[in-house]
Amino acid sequence: MLEIVYDVFARKERGDQLAHIGYVDALDDETARVYAWKTYDEQGWFEMCVVKRDAIIPVNRTDGPFARRAKEA
Amino acid sequence: MSDFLDVATLDAAGQSALKRLILSLADTKRLMGIRYSDWTLGAPTVESGIAASSMTQDEWGHCRLLYAMLKEFGLDPKVVEHERDASEYASVSALDTEFPDWAAVVAGIVLVDGALNTALESFSRGSFEPATTRVPKMLAEEEYHSAMGRAWYRRLADSSDEARGLLRDATESMLPVMLAWLGASDEAAQALVAAGVTDPADSQVAAFRDSVRDLVSMIGVDVDAVVPSDDWDSARGRASGHPDDDAIERARGDRNRALLVD
Repeated sequence: MLEIVYDVFARKERGDQLAHIGYVDALDDETARVYAWKTYDEQGWFEMCVVKRDAIIPVNRTDGPFARRAKEA
Repeated sequence: MSDFLDVATLDAAGQSALKRLILSLADTKRLMGIRYSDWTLGAPTVESGIAASSMTQDEWGHCRLLYAMLKEFGLDPKVVEHERDASEYASVSALDTEFPDWAAVVAGIVLVDGALNTALESFSRGSFEPATTRVPKMLAEEEYHSAMGRAWYRRLADSSDEARGLLRDATESMLPVMLAWLGASDEAAQALVAAGVTDPADSQVAAFRDSVRDLVSMIGVDVDAVVPSDDWDSARGRASGHPDDDAIERARGDRNRALLVD
């Protein structure tokens, strides 16, 4: 079954930095929302959001988990 | 709503009807939690298993709140939770046995949990004050169950013939039961409508059909053509039969009774 990697970002309080807290594999945007909320529920998050990993464009690295869309120098 | 129902003003039949509704909602959530818990391990992915685990916790938290509403009638929720026989449970019959496969879990989220939400939405809008204050938070948490169920339903409906067949089997098994449960219009159900506790059965059924029509049509099921089951036990507000003994042992906590503390 084809799954998509989504990275999960959250902030605990209004005004906090939005931080990368993990990732989930999901069928689509809807299940990504559910899985993120249900998996990373150890905090009473003020805000959580998910981003398709494929949508992340690396700026200075050509290796690591976000490197798929990296431009080779 | 400002004019809430004074339970003491209900006659014996009205009080019995309201107790039946609360027990049916609470017991269904308790069994729903047990059926979800079976898939904490064995779900298709780690994430869906974690979601099943979290949904289990949600359902058991919700049923605790619902059982507590029975205090309005002088009943001790602990006795209700830990000392009833399987034949006294008022949970919907679609949960009497375990879900045989993931497609049945998905259909259960959409059709059983979904119908339960329709009933709870009606209950939360009514004249019974504890429902107006406690149920909205349950429904907010249920939004995630619904999103998960609907996404998986679409995925399975759009996949292999085997998956579609299993989904259709589960859907055709659950729909008549849930339509009968939501659409009950016996004396008890009518008493609750008259007291402003719930919406009329017809409107609840219509809302439920609207909520699942497009989804079930993906596997060739016309929800408007499904005939509600005529198997009905008015004493408990569900079909005949009862949940399997293993589930009730787990629901009551029989194996750890000696460890039960107040």
